[in-house]
Amino acid sequence: MRFSKIKTHPESGSGFVPGPLGTCAARAFALIIAVLVVACACLSVPMVALAKTEAAVTEEGSALNEEAGIGLVGFKRYQKGALRPVSDIDLGYRYPLPDDATLVALATNEAVIIYVDRAAAEDAGLDLEDAAQRDALITLVEHLDKEASRGGTLIADIAASREVIVTEEQTMTIGLYTYRFAVDAGEGRYCSVQPAALREGEEPTAGAEAAGLDLSAGALWCDGARLVPASEVPVAAAPGLLEQLDTFFSGVDYRPFWVSLKTSAVALVITFVLGLLAAWRTMGTSSRLKGILDSVFTIPMVLPPTVCGFLLLLLFGRSTPVGQWLVDHGISLVFTWEAAVISAIVVSFPLMYRTALGAFESLDATMLDAARTLGWSETRIFARLMMPLAWPSIAAGTVLAFARAMGEFGCTLFFAGNYAGVTQTIPIAIYFEWMSGNTDVALFWVIVVILFSFIVVLVINLYTAHSQRYRERGGAQPRRGGCDVEPLAAPEAGGDALRIDREALRSLIAESDSTTAEGRR
Amino acid sequence: MMDLNISRRSFAATGAVAAAAVLAGCNADTTAQGSAPAAAGSAAATSGVELQIFAANSLEKAMPEVEALYTEATGTTFADTQYKGSGDLVEQMRGGAPVDILITASAGTMDDAEEASLVDADTRQDMFTNELVIVRAEGSDIEITSLEDVASIDGNIAIGEPGAVPAGKYANQALASVGLYSSDEGEGGEYDAAIADKVVQADKVGTAAQYVATGDCAIGFVYTSDVYRYDGIEVAYTTPAESHKAIVYPGAVEASSEHAEEAADFLEFCMTDEDALAIWAEYGFELA
Repeated sequence: MRFSKIKTHPESGSGFVPGPLGTCAARAFALIIAVLVVACACLSVPMVALAKTEAAVTEEGSALNEEAGIGLVGFKRYQKGALRPVSDIDLGYRYPLPDDATLVALATNEAVIIYVDRAAAEDAGLDLEDAAQRDALITLVEHLDKEASRGGTLIADIAASREVIVTEEQTMTIGLYTYRFAVDAGEGRYCSVQPAALREGEEPTAGAEAAGLDLSAGALWCDGARLVPASEVPVAAAPGLLEQLDTFFSGVDYRPFWVSLKTSAVALVITFVLGLLAAWRTMGTSSRLKGILDSVFTIPMVLPPTVCGFLLLLLFGRSTPVGQWLVDHGISLVFTWEAAVISAIVVSFPLMYRTALGAFESLDATMLDAARTLGWSETRIFARLMMPLAWPSIAAGTVLAFARAMGEFGCTLFFAGNYAGVTQTIPIAIYFEWMSGNTDVALFWVIVVILFSFIVVLVINLYTAHSQRYRERGGAQPRRGGCDVEPLAAPEAGGDALRIDREALRSLIAESDSTTAEGRR
Repeated sequence: MMDLNISRRSFAATGAVAAAAVLAGCNADTTAQGSAPAAAGSAAATSGVELQIFAANSLEKAMPEVEALYTEATGTTFADTQYKGSGDLVEQMRGGAPVDILITASAGTMDDAEEASLVDADTRQDMFTNELVIVRAEGSDIEITSLEDVASIDGNIAIGEPGAVPAGKYANQALASVGLYSSDEGEGGEYDAAIADKVVQADKVGTAAQYVATGDCAIGFVYTSDVYRYDGIEVAYTTPAESHKAIVYPGAVEASSEHAEEAADFLEFCMTDEDALAIWAEYGFELA
């Protein structure tokens, strides 16, 4: 029954006690936290910063070669095309191109074809006969293709084993396929793959089908961009570290923090009331019933949170008769914010309950009986005697329950899901941000959680230190009052707790005497 | 019994309730100002219609861009779209989650949803096709020239959990084609002893990709489109199309959706709007 008794005895030397050992442990802990935070910061800041410094000189998707005097802007890579007509015009297998694209790089199984619009080449001063300029163009395309590849095969890689063709011709036939670059259709521009052997008046798609030709196999992927003189490529100064941090922090979705705080705050209020009531009522029951109640109230702490989540889902979900009945009667909780609150309550309740029960049971039973002989009601004993005396333990239990509610993951994910801004709490955000490749955002939340936990522990420490001082003062009082109790020399059963209880009881009885006296007057 | 005095504790409790109420208020403000709409209670946004989409995990990067495009064009907004393993999504729908549109990564999972009358079968259409590839960490020296090479890989192999992750099922079918998995269906079988203790199961295809990107696994079975949405992985081998069932992404409107018409409009937009098609093309989804 002393499972989670958190009452602090000075003799016990536990972590919360501000004795020499206690402060030492607290300092070491603070140091560890500080080191962790700094380490995380060191890890995350370069990741954020370095990821962006490389392409800092020109905008994303643009590059220039000053020597050759040419540049590319608005570069995009399309991994796949589509075999659909555009505004009823059959283009065969076509890739979209950026608006007004004047350069197309098409990777095929036989060659890499770079098409340049003749007028744009003239404007940019590009002479394809000039080998140096031609190579500069190929290098620019290879560079931007790599930047936009997202892990796909690179032009730079396949160029070694294939012919690289730079052309100003809008149509080119290689093997079974005819490639048409920069075709205008509908409102856009396209690069299309069509069968080479096409009879008069035959649509490309129908022709390919008739010949049993797979048009999508005709090309691997397609790049598009605008060719401009080097002077027209916008060049920006590399963003400073502060600017990068600013972009990072303004890009983070802060809603998980509010969801977490809101969910745990509401859950805590309910847990606090329910936990205290449960502990209070359980205390007075017969031992057999108490055993059962105690198991029921404690079991969510022992069960894996996923089990709690699963049971809740079965209870409230539409897949079971009970859940169906509840849904039919307007109680539809699954995957809502209320579900997140319920999850938090379920997992944090045992912490509150056990701490309160432990604290209540450690109170001197004779003292409570004394209060009963004075004619106090049970409610009054609870509110005026048990609560004040057990308050330090209950406060610690409350903080623990809050921390547990804040850190809840499995049950919430099961029962409330992961809806950004509704049920996505910080722990869930960390998991899903990492999962979708946003490691820096996940790290940011990790740091937030560590800092938050640090503050919570610090507050507990300060509070315990504060209540400890109150105890010490309490212990010194009797001597001044000439009372003959010798507190330090009386290590009787209950020790410090008993001593404090007597002191508090004395003041409480004195207080109640004066109020009753006032009442009589 | 009922002479409850208003003690310090009750004051504290009242204070806590008040604080929670204030917090709730604050949060309502922030979500209202935020760009993305909240699923609950903010239905009074622009056009009044808010669609809830459940989409296969592999659509996680491309779908938000298409949604943004659609919101710009029509004013219809989207609740936080759920990207999970297709099997999980169907289970979540069974559990009673409100949905308007379901897009899965396999015909099988959509069949399950159809059998359970979760989606309107008339609205079902094949949206995309994809390829199954074996990926390795960027710069890794692992060479794979055939499916048989998987047996001799040094390191762990990330495969989606076949029950919930269609990519895992396709991967097992591909492995079964060379005798490394015991069931041709890709589910319910055993891995060959040569790879059995190397297989790491992932809860989503994205997780499999992430395992390879972080180096926890040497290779992984994912879709081509996953290579384009995760940093740090590259294609080591593209599995032959005949080694597994055709990979299609069917989409359908949920059976009891209140916004069935708007949902069907959005599916139509996904398949016909040229700007939307450009986004799919960028992320490597080929239209079915």
